[in-house]
Amino acid sequence: MSPEAVSSTLELNEEGFLAHPEGWTPDVATVLAREQEGIETLGDKHWAAINYIRAYYLEKGMAPMIRALCQNTGLRLREIYDLFPSGPAKGACKVAGLPKPDGCV
Amino acid sequence: MSTGIPLTPAPAPPAPDAYRRRLASLEPETVARARAAFAALLTRDHAVHLDACVHCGLCTTSCHYALVDEDPRNSPAYKVHLVAEAFRQESSAWARMFPGWTGARPVDAELIGEWVDVLFGRCSMCGRCTANCVVGIDVPALVRAARGALAAAGLVPPELQSTVDAAVNTGNNMSITHDDWIGTIEWLEDELRAEVGDDTARLPLDECDADFLYVLNPREPKFYPLSIVAAGAIFHRAGVRWTLARDYFDVTNYGLFSGSPEAAATIARRLVDTTRRLRAKQLVLGECGHGFAANRWLAPEWLGEEPGFEVRSVVDVVADLIRDGRIELDPSRIPNLVTLHDPCNLVRNGGVIAPQREILARAVTQWVEMAPHGYQNYCCGGGGGQLSMTRFARRRLEAGRIKADQIRATGARIVAAPCHNCVDQLSEIGKEYALGIEVKTMCELVADALVRRP
Repeated sequence: MSPEAVSSTLELNEEGFLAHPEGWTPDVATVLAREQEGIETLGDKHWAAINYIRAYYLEKGMAPMIRALCQNTGLRLREIYDLFPSGPAKGACKVAGLPKPDGCV
Repeated sequence: MSTGIPLTPAPAPPAPDAYRRRLASLEPETVARARAAFAALLTRDHAVHLDACVHCGLCTTSCHYALVDEDPRNSPAYKVHLVAEAFRQESSAWARMFPGWTGARPVDAELIGEWVDVLFGRCSMCGRCTANCVVGIDVPALVRAARGALAAAGLVPPELQSTVDAAVNTGNNMSITHDDWIGTIEWLEDELRAEVGDDTARLPLDECDADFLYVLNPREPKFYPLSIVAAGAIFHRAGVRWTLARDYFDVTNYGLFSGSPEAAATIARRLVDTTRRLRAKQLVLGECGHGFAANRWLAPEWLGEEPGFEVRSVVDVVADLIRDGRIELDPSRIPNLVTLHDPCNLVRNGGVIAPQREILARAVTQWVEMAPHGYQNYCCGGGGGQLSMTRFARRRLEAGRIKADQIRATGARIVAAPCHNCVDQLSEIGKEYALGIEVKTMCELVADALVRRP
């Protein structure tokens, strides 16, 4: 599917998170990154974070701690905020198709 | 090791449309529960405030929701009116007999629907209306009473309720497990040592008889741990004896926003008990507006006792450390213009106004106030649980325009905000309104300004 076609089928909630997290695909991540986060191209480091977060979510039903994200991807702590300018919750987790986490985010 | 905290995550909230469907066809028993809870929650203070509105309209020009959208439902006077109608019904047989003359209205499915839309969806409980009310009506307290009635009937918006449930069931509002909390603190200790260049620097856990127990926002260990490193660096340099707790580390209390006094008391009790268990001299609250209002001012009311130790904001503690010369700062490390956001629950409703200003005067090269500021600040838009209620996010971001305009007018590149919830909302409105700002907590700024040692 073309990015335009993917974009037209996406159902987002009021904050730009996927309304149906189960419908996520890597193409959806590319579209969310560009349209919601202003990230034109997802690089290897982006994908390392996205794939880990997605796999963790599918297993545990929630977002991983940032420590687990760093330790399992080899990304440095400060790097995450550069890769995803909206931060781990509203940036990385959103692109990985997770629902919005509870709490002050 | 076991802490007695259940480690299972809170159950996932139902899909949003399930909540809307439920509101559309409320069972009579649910309505009866809300009505009974409302009558039970009302005190003499509420009654005085509910009878006092003179409909002058000053509150309308003080509320960020009403200022961005003239819909009459955004006026604080209307919010008071919605609670007062139900109060008249409950308090007077005469009113029940002649509702058309007296303006009485039963708590029914229709009114509950309006309460959800208006009292949850159009109010951040910031109290700016109260500050500008000619008779001083405590609007946030009235909103909280009505929210509490809905909480008793299980009718709080599910995204907000799940945050309360996570805190009650797992010990913190992000369901962080014990192992994840301890693992994160141990991992951050290495970050701290690299940061301060000292292998003896520590993030102490469960150390008894410390000067203070430090509690923080779960979003710090979960997503933004550099603020923990920042606080650790400041405390290390100052040589204070402090500790984190292995079990209850969460400064937040979303019971304040769901309106449930039971949930609020359960959560508040833990920090009082933990401070006593560790025999800490003070309980120091991390940068969290509502956590300050809840633990400093409301906890004694919920718990029916004074804690017997001092409860302070970390902002107040850090200002003391600077004033006493226990940490050395180099303001030239932060050359960009800074402005200061005043979290409603720390400043207007909490009384902590001067320390954050003392800190900026010493930590940064140049800073400016917003207009207005201090007691008359505008809410960022994220308070009152708004940040967690996805269904009202559009209104939250629109109401945030007032704060965005304030920030833009200062020309500042950095916004200092002594509240993690405000930091998140300010970051969002920075993106929404293209402000080009960086948002930082006070501890992060102070840590950036610490004089580097060779």
